[in-house]
Amino acid sequence: MQPFAYFRPESRGEVFAALREFAPDVRILAGGTDLMVRLRSGRFRPNAVVDVKRVSGWSSQIVETEGVLRVGAGVTMTDLVSAPSVQQHFPALVEAASVVGSVQIRNRATLAGNICNASPAADTAPPLLVYGAVVNVASRAGERQIPLSEFFLGPGRTALAAGELVESIDLPIPVEAAGSAFQRITRRRGVDLATANLSCSVNRAGEVRMAFGAAAPIPLLVTGTAASLEEMTAQARPISDVRGGAAYRQAMLLVMARRALEVSLGRLRQ
Amino acid sequence: MPPVNNLKDDKPKWVGQSLGRVGAEDRVTGRQKYAADLRIDNALQVKFVTVDCARARIIAIHTEAAAAVEGVRCILTSADLPQPVPKCGPAYDDRPVIAVGETRFHGEPVVVVAAETEDAAELAASLVRIEYEELPPVLTVEAALDPGSPLVQDHLQSNVLTENHFGWGDVDSAQAHCIVENDYTFPMVTHFAIEPHAFIAAPDPDGITIWSPIQHPYVLRRVVATALGWPVARVRIIAPDPGGGFGGKGWPKVEPLLAFLALRVGRPVRLVMSLEETFQAVRRASAKVHARTGFDADGRIVFQDLEANFLLGAYADIGPRVVSKASYSACGPYRAPHARVVSRALLSHTTPSTAFRGFGTPQASWAVESQLNEAAARLGLDRVEIRRRNVPAKGEEFIPNENGADGNWIESLEKAAAAVAWDVPLAPNRGRGISLGLKSSSTASASFALVRLHHDGSASVLSGTSDMGQGARTVFTQIVADELAIEPDQIVVVMGDTSVVPFDSSTSASRSTVFMGNAIIAACKHVQEQVAAIALEVGAGAEVPYEELLRAYYGSARGEVIGLGSARSAYVPGHPLGGKSAFWEMMAAAAEVEVDPETGMVDIRKLVLVSDVGKALNPMQVETQDEGSAVMGLGHTLMEQLLLDSHGRIRNLGALDYRIPTIEDIPAELHSFLIENEDGPGPSGAKGAGEGGLLSIAAAVGSAINQAVGVAIRDLPLTPERIWQAIQDRQT
Amino acid sequence: MNLRLTINGKEVAREVAAHHTLLEFLRDDVGLTGTKECCAEGECGACTVLLDGKAVNSCLVLAVETEGSAVTTIEGLEKDGQLDPLQQAFIDKGAVQCGFCIPGMILAAKYLLQENSNPTDAEIKQGLAGNLCRCAGYSRIIDAVREAGRAARQ
Repeated sequence: MQPFAYFRPESRGEVFAALREFAPDVRILAGGTDLMVRLRSGRFRPNAVVDVKRVSGWSSQIVETEGVLRVGAGVTMTDLVSAPSVQQHFPALVEAASVVGSVQIRNRATLAGNICNASPAADTAPPLLVYGAVVNVASRAGERQIPLSEFFLGPGRTALAAGELVESIDLPIPVEAAGSAFQRITRRRGVDLATANLSCSVNRAGEVRMAFGAAAPIPLLVTGTAASLEEMTAQARPISDVRGGAAYRQAMLLVMARRALEVSLGRLRQ
Repeated sequence: MPPVNNLKDDKPKWVGQSLGRVGAEDRVTGRQKYAADLRIDNALQVKFVTVDCARARIIAIHTEAAAAVEGVRCILTSADLPQPVPKCGPAYDDRPVIAVGETRFHGEPVVVVAAETEDAAELAASLVRIEYEELPPVLTVEAALDPGSPLVQDHLQSNVLTENHFGWGDVDSAQAHCIVENDYTFPMVTHFAIEPHAFIAAPDPDGITIWSPIQHPYVLRRVVATALGWPVARVRIIAPDPGGGFGGKGWPKVEPLLAFLALRVGRPVRLVMSLEETFQAVRRASAKVHARTGFDADGRIVFQDLEANFLLGAYADIGPRVVSKASYSACGPYRAPHARVVSRALLSHTTPSTAFRGFGTPQASWAVESQLNEAAARLGLDRVEIRRRNVPAKGEEFIPNENGADGNWIESLEKAAAAVAWDVPLAPNRGRGISLGLKSSSTASASFALVRLHHDGSASVLSGTSDMGQGARTVFTQIVADELAIEPDQIVVVMGDTSVVPFDSSTSASRSTVFMGNAIIAACKHVQEQVAAIALEVGAGAEVPYEELLRAYYGSARGEVIGLGSARSAYVPGHPLGGKSAFWEMMAAAAEVEVDPETGMVDIRKLVLVSDVGKALNPMQVETQDEGSAVMGLGHTLMEQLLLDSHGRIRNLGALDYRIPTIEDIPAELHSFLIENEDGPGPSGAKGAGEGGLLSIAAAVGSAINQAVGVAIRDLPLTPERIWQAIQDRQT
Repeated sequence: MNLRLTINGKEVAREVAAHHTLLEFLRDDVGLTGTKECCAEGECGACTVLLDGKAVNSCLVLAVETEGSAVTTIEGLEKDGQLDPLQQAFIDKGAVQCGFCIPGMILAAKYLLQENSNPTDAEIKQGLAGNLCRCAGYSRIIDAVREAGRAARQ
């Protein structure tokens, strides 16, 4: 790994100052489970790494306010899957976060980091899209909200501007009854990156929201009904790579869509 | 009959027991020192520089920027070595110790940097600039066979390094009722020992010392000495216990280069390879097998006509031996009245393939066992029955002029079938498969052992075997405990240092328990003879403890009794392999799988292994070796493969995309059974074990998948995608 | 950078390069070589340690991130010369072959049992899925963890 300067700011102001000083060759470090891999491989060669975990007010809490579950940027996958409020309202997110890497990874990896990494295959992205997540972003200029559906721009690219920091993710607590689920396809049964993944939710009106990953340059959100699963999954644009071929991925989306819908309907009825 | 001391029992007390692993405590506490854990004072850290493709012509090397990095002590290229640059290798001296003029595989070192710290070495390596012209590589069996392809080694006439012809009878005129003919492929897979390779080389007053987790320290000593042009006596190898070997640590790779580097800088040099670099250093030969098998109407094999092309890498390594040995017994544990096996070792611009558990047999077994399954289907025979009809009886010769079947192999087959509940009706999407695997053992090899009975009655065993997880120390301790009638905690097994332990050919071919075991028994007998003579001389009885006896003999000066033992597998001039197979490693495997027909995902519900081991000197160790071997076999069956791009680079280089079985990938039920008829040539009738588990797993699982969802796939690995695709192809 | 932390109950203060991982720090600077390096990208678990009580891959943590933290490595499990019950169970159940994965495996198991003293086999598998063993002694490892859990509950 090539040397870099390491900063561990204690205030947001210091974070923003460091981001400005070292832009554009600066990286934010939270859980580090993706960043460290890229630092080692040399894909990222920053001058500076800003560790945000000890910033005053940096939240590792999951707080419910005004119909929204706010997941702090410091919340790890382990924290997330064990939170009763998440389990109650967002079962597909629990299913997805439970299979992100291994226990050791989930003990470090944050939900915010998973989306900032902007992997097309990120497991938490599909359920977050389905649940209408909104990303709360801060910078020297102030704060803003970015709907997750507008957050991903391409592999590894997000709508975050230079100097911006994700502080939390809002999950609107469903007001109407809905059932939701998550599915993925992997090459082996233990810890693996998704060959493709998918989440869906369905309400009593039969409206289906579905999102899938590793099937397009970004995780895609589509809507339709139980009768239009084929049309919905046909919007994918999968590629062939070492994890799977395009045709297989495309076919698996439909299989996962059916299965996820079946589970979702079961949950809706409960 | 002179008295034998300490009343050795006729019935073994320790052999046959599942004595706890010697060295286990060090391994659960972190005290065990593997190669990368050793700290040698004053050592420089080494980093290799490579080019970003398999085959390139080196135009110029610019090292100025790298040399300016603080702490850099040496930047070595081929120009800094004796000219012509020495070539070496275990089979042929064909691998230059560093690339000269042209690279032949991705990852081949072109420049070596030695620096005071790993950081400095890494930085300097990144600053070395190599100007090169990429040349078209040879990457496949087809390309290697094409006379129009570039030569991998330009002094040769073709990329066919060796071609073997084995056979008997007359295949061409044999009359068969049914002929099954197919192509089978087996992918490149890598050992993925959890310990990446690590080395230290240090000049010393006598010559040079090399620390390497090598399975065969004496081979390494010979190869390094040859490269240096030195007598072997000046080269000392210290081989710490490997953190997994599987053949990947068997044969020398970069040690000669490190030896030259250490001598040049006059200091110890240390290289710890990354897992990615290790992937680029060792792999199994991929293979394409064309099989044509004739059967009579009753399912008896009439002929086997096999053409097996193994894709080796850029240098021979031990590859030609892998090919000849595997193809020699490629017909498996079956009678074949007529056989013709043509096998080729092909060079390519890829990582040199080397020994890997099973030594070429899994590649052949995948084809031959699958052929039997297809024949059974065509002839309306049960897959167990067709094997029953072809397996030779105990003692029956099945390869002319070779040792015959050395076990009751039908017993293994029946036991596997019973254990997997072969005849019980299956649930939907479930299937069962069964297969046999047969591997020849060590031919023409030698093991020496010293057993030192110390003045206090404790003993040291000096053995050139390498304990890489198979538990050799434990088994040797058990043997000596019985032979000398002392407690295991009075015995220390010393391994790995060629200045201490006597010669041993190799820790390979499942040979150590048999050959080193026999050598140790011989050494113990030698001790006992001397003890008996001493007892006679001092007039002591058999019940006198060693300590008293030796005090009576040597007095206060102390002394000890040293026993030397040896065992060898006879060299037979003219034999295709240099000698007959000392024993056969025979394994029956049976699997029950459930396949998700929509996704192609396979769930191994049950895997049964039956291993004919003659005698398990330590049953738990044999079982864990078999289980581990079988799970490793599930790896190449279901998920493992190195994928290359058109530049010859590994696309899935690293743990992220080269998948091996995790704890969640093991069978829901895994049972290993041992057949112990005490009919092997080793101690207490033991045969070798530890490779069998993986020999024919692929065919058993493949057949089970076929039964579950009706697709016969002939290319490994059987990934979910491949199974799904086969189901789609069948439906359209 | 200056780094202070607690390793196996002992305070340690050292200079460390900002870009060095906790794994490198433990092995190269502190000399605790029981923690192993294999893939160096969080896939194999050989470098697992407990960081403030949680199992993590020490290859994916910068040493400087652990300022003020408590780290437990395999060398810290023995108490007063007594093996941890998990260590003993790994020996007794024949779960150790080459041994290279074992330190990480035991620490992952330690965390598992700490979070769930009575895990099912499925939970044991889930808890250890991030630890590769190429000797594939997995079924014996499951036996060992089950046994250690049972011993701890009694």
